[in-house]
Amino acid sequence: MTTPLVEDTSGLKSGQTLLEVDNLIMRYKTKQGYVSAVEDVSFVLHKGEALGLVGESGCGKTSIALSLLRLQADNGEIMGGSIKLGGKDLVPISEEEMRTHRWNDISMVFQGAMNSWNPVYRVGDQIKEALDLHWPTRLSRAEVRERIGELFALVGLPADAQDRYPHEFSGGMRQRAVIAMALSCNPQVIIADEPTTALDVIVQDQILKELKRIQDDLDMSIIYISHDIAVIAEVTDRMAVMYAGKMVEFGDTADIFSAPRHPYAWLLLSSTPSIVGPRRQLAPLEGEPPNLLDPPTGCRFNPRCPFATDQCRVEEPPLADIGGGHMVACWNYEDVPVGITAGGVA
Amino acid sequence: MLRFIGVRLVQMSLLFLVFLTLLFFLLQAQPGDFSRQFLDPNIPAENRDLIAARFGLDQPLWRQYLTYMGNILQGDLGVSFARYPRSVVSVISERLPRTFFLFTFATMLSYYLGFMLGKVLAWRRGGSQEMGITLGGVILYTVFYPWFALVMIWFFAAYLDLVPVNQFLTPIRWREAPFSANTVFASIIWSTLLLTVGLGLSLWASRKPDNLAQQRLIRWGGVGLSFALFLAFWLPSDRRTFATDIAHHAVLPIFTLALVAFAGVMLITRGSMLETLKEDYILTARAKGLAPKTIRDRHAARNALLPVTTSFVLGLAFIIGGGLITETVFSWPGMGELLLVSVQNQDIPVAIGSLAMVGALALIAHIVVDVLYVFLDPRIRYQ
Amino acid sequence: MALEQKPGDLQADPLVALEGAEDLPAIELTDPLWRIRLRLLWRNFKKNWGLFAENKIGLVGLFIIGVFALMAIAHPVLMATVWGGDNTEIYDPVIGYDAVVKEFIVVEVVTDPLSEIELIDARFTNINAQVGDIISQPQQPAPPSSKHLLGTDPLGRDVLSQLMFSTRAAFFLGMVAALVTVFIATTVGSMAAFFRGFVDSFLMRLADLILLMPLIPILIVIGGFWTIELWQLGVIIGVLNGFGGVAIVLRSQALAVSVKPFVDAARVAGGSKWHLIFRHVIPNVLPLSFLYMMFGVTEAISLEAVLSFFGLLNVDMSWGLMISVAQAEGYLLRGLDVWWLLFPAGMAVSVLAAAFFLVGRAMDEVVNPRLRQR
Repeated sequence: MTTPLVEDTSGLKSGQTLLEVDNLIMRYKTKQGYVSAVEDVSFVLHKGEALGLVGESGCGKTSIALSLLRLQADNGEIMGGSIKLGGKDLVPISEEEMRTHRWNDISMVFQGAMNSWNPVYRVGDQIKEALDLHWPTRLSRAEVRERIGELFALVGLPADAQDRYPHEFSGGMRQRAVIAMALSCNPQVIIADEPTTALDVIVQDQILKELKRIQDDLDMSIIYISHDIAVIAEVTDRMAVMYAGKMVEFGDTADIFSAPRHPYAWLLLSSTPSIVGPRRQLAPLEGEPPNLLDPPTGCRFNPRCPFATDQCRVEEPPLADIGGGHMVACWNYEDVPVGITAGGVA
Repeated sequence: MLRFIGVRLVQMSLLFLVFLTLLFFLLQAQPGDFSRQFLDPNIPAENRDLIAARFGLDQPLWRQYLTYMGNILQGDLGVSFARYPRSVVSVISERLPRTFFLFTFATMLSYYLGFMLGKVLAWRRGGSQEMGITLGGVILYTVFYPWFALVMIWFFAAYLDLVPVNQFLTPIRWREAPFSANTVFASIIWSTLLLTVGLGLSLWASRKPDNLAQQRLIRWGGVGLSFALFLAFWLPSDRRTFATDIAHHAVLPIFTLALVAFAGVMLITRGSMLETLKEDYILTARAKGLAPKTIRDRHAARNALLPVTTSFVLGLAFIIGGGLITETVFSWPGMGELLLVSVQNQDIPVAIGSLAMVGALALIAHIVVDVLYVFLDPRIRYQ
Repeated sequence: MALEQKPGDLQADPLVALEGAEDLPAIELTDPLWRIRLRLLWRNFKKNWGLFAENKIGLVGLFIIGVFALMAIAHPVLMATVWGGDNTEIYDPVIGYDAVVKEFIVVEVVTDPLSEIELIDARFTNINAQVGDIISQPQQPAPPSSKHLLGTDPLGRDVLSQLMFSTRAAFFLGMVAALVTVFIATTVGSMAAFFRGFVDSFLMRLADLILLMPLIPILIVIGGFWTIELWQLGVIIGVLNGFGGVAIVLRSQALAVSVKPFVDAARVAGGSKWHLIFRHVIPNVLPLSFLYMMFGVTEAISLEAVLSFFGLLNVDMSWGLMISVAQAEGYLLRGLDVWWLLFPAGMAVSVLAAAFFLVGRAMDEVVNPRLRQR
């Protein structure tokens, strides 16, 4: 590729802060009261960085993703905090203004790409829709075709595939096309929500590699969201562990994998088999995530935590830096053993 | 695509044959045969047998059946008892266009309005306005239709005196008319049909060019041209006053039938829209930053249209039944009124002929919708 | 997501589904089986009633049905008491007659039609009438009075009595049609889903055919050729619906049920085909059947009214007939002047049909969890 497909429109260099989320609170209003889906979440995304969000289903990962685009369900409300994109806060701006940022600045690869295509329109036409809306100049039909062809080449699809309907694609092709659509308007940030969950393992791996390559080539910033720790380990630079709407651990992916400091992260890693590491006993994660209508007092993990003390049941631990940018929200993180998993080495 | 239509045509023809067979047995199941029913009971037995033999009533059942099917398929529906010696076919061919006119207009109007309102209702779910309109829709949907039609006649024709009371035309105006009502009516049908085609073509052609100005030019130019031609045909025509008389009589029955059919379409559209709005591609469309109206019309409503189209087939019997009641209540001389009057007069050939024709009408409408569906849903188109 | 808690999923076997029942008394496993079954059914009923009651429109429908049911019950009671005895001849809905006599002043030009009558008209009944005379004239139809709360019809019969009497016919017809529909549709749907293959395609093609056939024209022809009684109409509607559209819906439900694990479990445990159909498939299809019963009643009530409106039904008195009489006697275009002839009967048909429809819609939200608004 001679010319970079994505120009650095923001004038930011690699490593610079791109997206800054501060104390974000998003709750769903229901008949029974507020469900706190995202509670006090803060993180920073740098240019060219891949950030991972991991946690059980229902822990608020997808809610964060949707909040970033302000696409939470009708009964969801951002009740506090800020989402700064290149210094501009997206929370207070009008819906009309927000629309100009969607896809143009932050685009998304959705969970279950199978259904993210409207079945009655050609794939190309659905990408064209985004281009017509956000591309700085009005593109002619031929220019649009050319642009979509480039994008398809990037994700490994033939250019003429744009004339086909979604149902004519295989699952993997659909997902590739979804990625092409996400790249179409040169967004600064891509949110990939469970990008590979619905695919079979081989295709999963291909798609992840493809995403990683595109990210490196274009110096993209991607937020990966997955319940699958293996995915996060493979593609991200830094990661956050979510539990019940809160961020409980944040740091370099490598650090967290080698030495998780939050009991939940530690148990989560222990419950996942490792292919490369020593054989070990897997420890099941007991209990269920809390009811977010009425979360437990103190630390939200305390009912399931093996290290919980009286303090944990009363006082909520802050997310504190324990050195080297590794942040943990736990009173007793020092009790969490390093190097051994919950099941012990077999 | 062509194969699909072919298969459907064959299926429908088979269904039609089954329907005709059912009609035959319906006739046979009547108490006694024609010779018992319609002849003077004092006629000597041998004479009666002679007459029965002349009409083939002494033949075995299967032979009678074959004769019946053969005749119908050759387009011979017999001779009307009540309008002897007119043939059933000539009676029906006079009535059919009128029913077609009423049915087509009311259907198009009700589907258009029902779809438009239904999609807006679903989009604004939860408001008191939505609740009110939905309730109104349910009332219209379940209202006792003949009564509703009578109330409409009383209100619009007798009380407000906006439209004439019933009938197809005002006889007094036609006394000196140089042409028959059917001729004028035929030109009404053809001109409106051509107008519709013209409008459809211009909308279709306007999507072809690449730039917005050209699109607009073609769209409005085409629409304007179609209307101009329509007016150019009617304004100087000496048939104009007669045509407006027919149109004037047609307004209320069409409106009444459309109003009732509309309610069902609206309720179905609303339900189908609510389902569609939960789909993932709606979230994708929102994430793309599309305007709410674009999402509603281009993405949600376009997909919600599919079940609505399917429901047309199910609603067909409803609309045909409604059309029949409309014709009777409004004294609109179409197929429905013909059917009812012939049943009341025991004019069996006409009754059976009309019922067969109504069945054929339903099947044809079914095929039209099937083909339309194929165009609307690419998933079927390429199978 | 945590929000997706689905209460009362009827897809599960009602004899097995117990979620959301914690607040109910525990079941003693020593109880006889039928008692356990009964209690489970009761629990299910309570749970579903809770869901149904959330829908205010459904409750309104139920209330209206209740009011009509009261009217149906009240009519024979009234005929035996207030309207009974010597009054039977006046208040009988079919053969009753009461010429309400009213006095008019004969005038040249009528200014108040309620108390004055034109000379020419007066001479129809009283050949010697002069301007200024007061003459008595029988009124048919007569406007509402304390004797006839909804007036009389063109034949001098009490409209209120007719209205209440017809309610019974409407309920009877609705019941017959709905029961026949449910019986046939449940059987046909379950058979088609369970046996698949030839049985399935035959029954479903039949259903397609019936769906396509214009019901009202066919009923008109049948009504013209034969004399049909009310119960026969109920059976005809029930058969056509049962083999038609409702069968298709119930088949797809039965199909969904018959691949559920509990059916497989019963199969593996050695249950015979009939055992599976009657003990597992049909009980799970029934809730949906009851839903279509409601829509069936709506349809039956409207069809009855249409047929008796056209005079094609052999029935003594019904709402459709009341309107038919008013129209035949030429009172239609007087509209509000004779409102008691047109509105009570027309509204009764519409309102009762709407009530059943609304109950059906509310039940739909109970039976189909995906329709619920949360």
